[in-house]
Amino acid sequence: MRLLLQALLLAAAGAAAGLALNPLSPRPARLSAPVRSAAEAAGSCQLPGAGPVAPRITVGEAAPMCLACSAGFVDARSAAEFAAGHVPGAVHLAPGESPTAALLRLEKFRTVVVYDGDPFAAQAEAVAGVLRARGLTDVRVLAGSWPAWTAAGAPGESGPCPGCGVASSRLPEAMP
Amino acid sequence: MRGRLLLAARLLTGAVFLYAAATKLPDLASFAVDVANYRLLPAAAVPPAAAALVGVELLAGLALLLGPWSRAAALVASGLLLLFIAGLAQALLRGIDLRCGCFGDAEPATWLTVLRDGAFLVPALAVARFGRGGWRRE
Repeated sequence: MRLLLQALLLAAAGAAAGLALNPLSPRPARLSAPVRSAAEAAGSCQLPGAGPVAPRITVGEAAPMCLACSAGFVDARSAAEFAAGHVPGAVHLAPGESPTAALLRLEKFRTVVVYDGDPFAAQAEAVAGVLRARGLTDVRVLAGSWPAWTAAGAPGESGPCPGCGVASSRLPEAMP
Repeated sequence: MRGRLLLAARLLTGAVFLYAAATKLPDLASFAVDVANYRLLPAAAVPPAAAALVGVELLAGLALLLGPWSRAAALVASGLLLLFIAGLAQALLRGIDLRCGCFGDAEPATWLTVLRDGAFLVPALAVARFGRGGWRRE
């Protein structure tokens, strides 16, 4: 009986400690915001290839957000493509990679824009799905992705991901 | 001999729980999503339950490693492991495709995960039943 009481006390103290430690976490759980499962949050069944899941954002809408630093950008292409040129300040996150480090940099933005190297943005869709599943609410896919961004003459920079410890070098002019 | 086995069981269980809590603490928001994907709790209860669960793991792990109240901590750890086994099994039986959320990474939940939790349950139950163990010859 004493053992059971000790266990209950320990569990209660642990639960209280967890709630007390939550605000100290770099990515705390929002205690007042309900969290639904991915299936419930999606709202409806989505067949693979049946159409876009993430809402689109055009280059015309996204470029000012990039200049004002009011949105986080995620590059879902390969690391080599990212190093060759990307949206200024973008975080590199390819499908299949752990999003934990990227999430720490993206959570301060209300809107996150994901792009890849293909106008159909299949890779960007996959990464957007992961980011939504990890708690980001406003995740959009850049319509036309990187080809549309460069075609519009929107700004770019080159270099590896700053999250890897090497700073990017901003290009003096817009990407070709 | 039994004392040393119990000591090893206690330290192993404590280390596993402490590691599990340490990997979740940096990203409790993602762990809350993992918990929600088990589809066992109402959405409003998920974030506090996720934070509380990590706290219980942390305290049980510390108590097991440090020694005081280690039998009670082993009982708590056993309860948690039974909860995890039941949660994983119901999700797998319902065909829910999800991350297990065990160690803060993207590990998928499979029947092997259930077996692993079952294996962790053995040393936890041993400590809860027989005590904390020690180095001294019996």
